[in-house]
Order: sequence, then C-alpha cells, then structure tokens
Amino acid sequence: MPDNPSGLPPFARSWPQLYAIVIGSLVVEIVLFYAIMSWLS
Amino acid sequence: MSVLDWSVLVLTLLGVITYGIYRSRGSRSMDDYLLAGQSLPWYHVGLSVMATQASAITFLSAPGQGFADGMRFVQFYFGLPLAMVVLSVTFVPIFHKLKVFTAYEFLENRFDVRVRTLTSGLFLLQRGLSTGLSIYAPAIILSTILGWNIYWTNLLMGGMVLLYTVTGGTKAISYTHLQQMAIVTFAMVVAGFLTVRLLPADVGFMDALHVAGKAGRMNLIDLKFDANSRYNIWSGLIGGFFLQLSYFGTDQSQVGRYLTGESIGQSRLGLLMNGLLKVPMQFLILLVGVLVFVFYQYNPTPTFFNKQETDKLKQSQYAGAYQVAEIKHQNLAAQRQRAVADMQVALDADDEAGQNAAGAVLRQTDDALKTVKADVVKLIEQNNPAADTNDVNYVFLRFVLDYLPHGLIGLLIAVIFSASMGSIAAAYNSLASTTVVDVYKRLVRREADDAHYLQASRWATVGWGVFCIVVAQFANQLGSMIEAVNILGSLFYGVILGVFVVAFYVKSIGGRATFWATLIAEVFVVLSWYLDLTAFLWLNVIGCLLVVGIAWVLEMAMGRNANA
Repeated sequence: MPDNPSGLPPFARSWPQLYAIVIGSLVVEIVLFYAIMSWLS
Repeated sequence: MSVLDWSVLVLTLLGVITYGIYRSRGSRSMDDYLLAGQSLPWYHVGLSVMATQASAITFLSAPGQGFADGMRFVQFYFGLPLAMVVLSVTFVPIFHKLKVFTAYEFLENRFDVRVRTLTSGLFLLQRGLSTGLSIYAPAIILSTILGWNIYWTNLLMGGMVLLYTVTGGTKAISYTHLQQMAIVTFAMVVAGFLTVRLLPADVGFMDALHVAGKAGRMNLIDLKFDANSRYNIWSGLIGGFFLQLSYFGTDQSQVGRYLTGESIGQSRLGLLMNGLLKVPMQFLILLVGVLVFVFYQYNPTPTFFNKQETDKLKQSQYAGAYQVAEIKHQNLAAQRQRAVADMQVALDADDEAGQNAAGAVLRQTDDALKTVKADVVKLIEQNNPAADTNDVNYVFLRFVLDYLPHGLIGLLIAVIFSASMGSIAAAYNSLASTTVVDVYKRLVRREADDAHYLQASRWATVGWGVFCIVVAQFANQLGSMIEAVNILGSLFYGVILGVFVVAFYVKSIGGRATFWATLIAEVFVVLSWYLDLTAFLWLNVIGCLLVVGIAWVLEMAMGRNANA
C-alpha cells in the first residue's frame, strides 16, 4: 500500500523516513541515558 | 489544604470542564459524538492518546517509584515508540479505510459477527471493571491523606467526568485532554523546580544529580538479561512492545482516540508524537521522584509514608516495637546526613575517591533503612492484615503537602484529578461506543436514524458511568489496587491481542476457528489464574499464543470450507 504523503511534517520526506526518525530518537535516548548513568555513578 | 488550595483546585477543574463543554457544543450526529467527526489535527490526537494513558496513578506512583527504586522504571517504556510505528503502518490505515467506529467492527469484516461480539464483550467486561478500579485507586490515596470520605471522593471523581462526556462526547474529551496535559506538564515542571530550590543553599541541580547517582538512583539502563528482573532494557524493548501494542491496538479507549484524526496521516502523526514524547515525559516524572529522594537525604524522612497506618500502629500493642524501629531509622538518617555532607565536600573539591567513599556509605545506609522499613511493614501487617503496605503511591503527595507552598498544593491535587478524569473519560466513551456500535446497533436495533443512536450513546455513557462508580465503591474488598488492575487486564488483554494477531497476520485462519479458540483460551487463562498456575503477567503471553495456536489447529482440523 503506498504511503499517503499528505500531513507529513516539513522535516520528513516520507513515512518510512519519519518512522526511522522515531526509532532513531529511541536509540539516541538509550545511548544518552547510558552516558548519563555512567557519568553520575 | 488552605482556602487558596481549594480555590485553585475548584477553579482549575471548573475551567477544564467548562472549556470542554463549550468547545464541543453542537455534536449532532453519532460520528460527531463518538469520533469528533474525524476532524482533529495530529497534536489533538497525540495529546489525547497521552492523556488517556497517563492516569492519576502515573503522577502519584511514578515519582514514588523514582524515590524508592531510581530511574530504571523508564526502561518499561522503551517498547512504546516501536509499537507506535507498527500501529501507524498496520492498524491505522486499515481502521481508517474501513471507516469503523470501534476496533471490533473490523473483526466482523475479517471474520464474522460472532468473533466481533465475543471480543467486544470481553473488552466491555474488562474495561468496565478496570475503570471502576481506576476511579478508586487515586480516590483512596486522596481520601487517606486528606481525610476525605472515600465514597464521596469516588462519586466526585467518576461523576465530574460524566458531566462533559455525556454532553460533549469525544470532542469534549479531546479538548479537555489538551487542557489536562498542559496543567499536568506545568505543575510537574514547577514541582521539580521547587524541589531543587528546597535543597540546601550550596546544593545545586547538578550536585543533586551526583548525589542521586552515587546513591544508585540514576540507574537508567540495565543491559543484563535477567528474567527475574522486572525492569531491564530487554524486558522494556520486547515485553513493553507487546504490552503497548495490545493496549494501543486493541483497547477501544485508545483506538477511539486516534480514530478522531482527520486523515490517516494525522492519526499516524499523533501516534508518532506519542512515540517521541512518552520516554522523555516518563524520564522527567521519575526525575522529580529522584529529586524528592535527594531532598530527603538532607531532611527528616518518614519511616513509612502512609501516616494513617503508622498512627494506628502507635495506638496498638505494637507501639513499643514501632518505637524501637523509629529510633533505628533516626540514627540511620543522621548517619546518612553525615555521608551526604561528606559527599558535598568531595564534590566541591572534585575529589573522586571521597565521592565514591561517601557514595558507598549512602548506599549501605539506604539498604539498612530499607530493612528497618520492612520491619515496620511487618508490624503494620500484624496490626492490620488488610492494610495497604505499599507506600510508594504516598511518597510524592506526602512531600507535596508537607513542603510545597499553598496554591501549588491545590494545583497538584488538580493534576491528580485531571489525569484521572482524562483516562476515565476515554474509558466511558469507549464503553459507550462499543455498547452502541457493536452490541445495540448490530444485534438489537439495526435500523434507526442517527439521532436515535446519538441518544443511545449518551444513555450508554451514563449507564457505564454509574456502573464504574458502583464498582469503585466496592473496590476496597480487592486488596492492592495496582495488582488488581494488572490482574484484570492480564485476564483479557492477551486473548484479545491474539484475536487481532490472527486477524492481521494469519490470513488463512477463519472466523469459526478463531471464535472457538478465543473461548477456549479465555477459559484456560481464567482457570490458570484461579488455580494459580503462573504469575499473572505471563497470562498476557499465554492468552495471545493460545488463541493463535488453537485457532490454527482448529482451522487445520475443520478446514477452510467450514468457515465459509
């Protein structure tokens, strides 16, 4: 099923790219949390 | 609470309710009433989804969890962004294209009317009972701490929501969700800011984080796979993914929120917004709890945060034993204050070895304090076997009442009401829409005009509201609330998810096999719980796998023709 491009935010060109941003943000958060934990412990 | 607190509380709640009713005026059709005319933009969808999930217990329990157990609970939400992506790819386009009011309508399209009716019936049973518990859980905490009558608190909590859900429907719920999320975010940020301000003058935010880190409270990530550990990165990513997928994909209280999006794109964006914001939001709520923990390193800490229970203990035959525990607790707290002062000196001098030494003492003292607390809990149990021995839900509210300024106390009580109202409103609405669309309109009265079904939806909302408040009035018979809610969910969620997994991903299985598999699996799950065969959390996995497995076997045995 083709993705409907309407409604996409300006920083994303397609839905798969937006999905990658959401998953990428999760990865960044996990890495950041690990760094904070290591720094403070 | 002072007059100022009462004024802030009443004005905030009145403002939210009035605004919701005002913005939703003119709901003239069932589509308007149940789906807000599918007209809402992505940010409405996203905030509404978030407000539905964040119950009052989120804002009472999560800071308490941060206080007692540190930040590791944040890992529980790691599966949520992944579930949002799967929902956006699979569920949202199908639900939108079929123009369904409820998730269960899709099941008739895919299977037959029996599967639809059975699944919606299981949902109504589970959601109706658990909404009653959702009313009772914050009400009992508020009534215990503030001395309010529990029956009137239940009535107030459940009744206020009825005012705007009956008149304004989904649109009112969505607009009030916006206000509620704004109030909750503002109040929690101010509470966090003031907690740091309440620390000693020479202790800043970064110092507080260092103290928390050395005391083992900044335990954000646990990479070790351990089936017995409730919160680690793997249980969060894998277990959390399945839990969030079943909740957002098959529970009408959530499906009804993202079906209000004006297009597939807007519904998807709302869900993805939730996927982006949920983890940082939980991080900040837990951080407030960790800051409260740091605050209590410099100030006297109650042995047990539910003061009503310790007051009863003081009047009982266990008063002497309790006094001994109190003295031990005070000595340990003094030892901890010395360690935290040493830590401050080491931090100022940038002395790594000194920080680690003070940190070790802090952790040892913390363990010893937990042992004393366990002794006090035993005394409370001996004195009153029905007592609530988990004080995690009381930590934040106790801190708010004892240390935060008047005005903000009223606002934070309003936060608890707002969060509770947000999730209860969505539940009432989902119960009404499922009753009218999947039962009344499908099985009882198939031909009637839209005005009739709109009226039926309003009456169904009233009926479910009354039912849930009645359940809340009897909920004190059920022991631990959080566990009761989780057990109730686990009895049904897995089976319902199994039906949707078959519907979406196993196209070769038909309605007849799925119907019987659902019935058999539900009976097995209830029996497993009744006979105590396994820990209740596993019932979710067992229920889902049983439906898929039994349906597949039955399909093989009966053949595709039998489904035709």
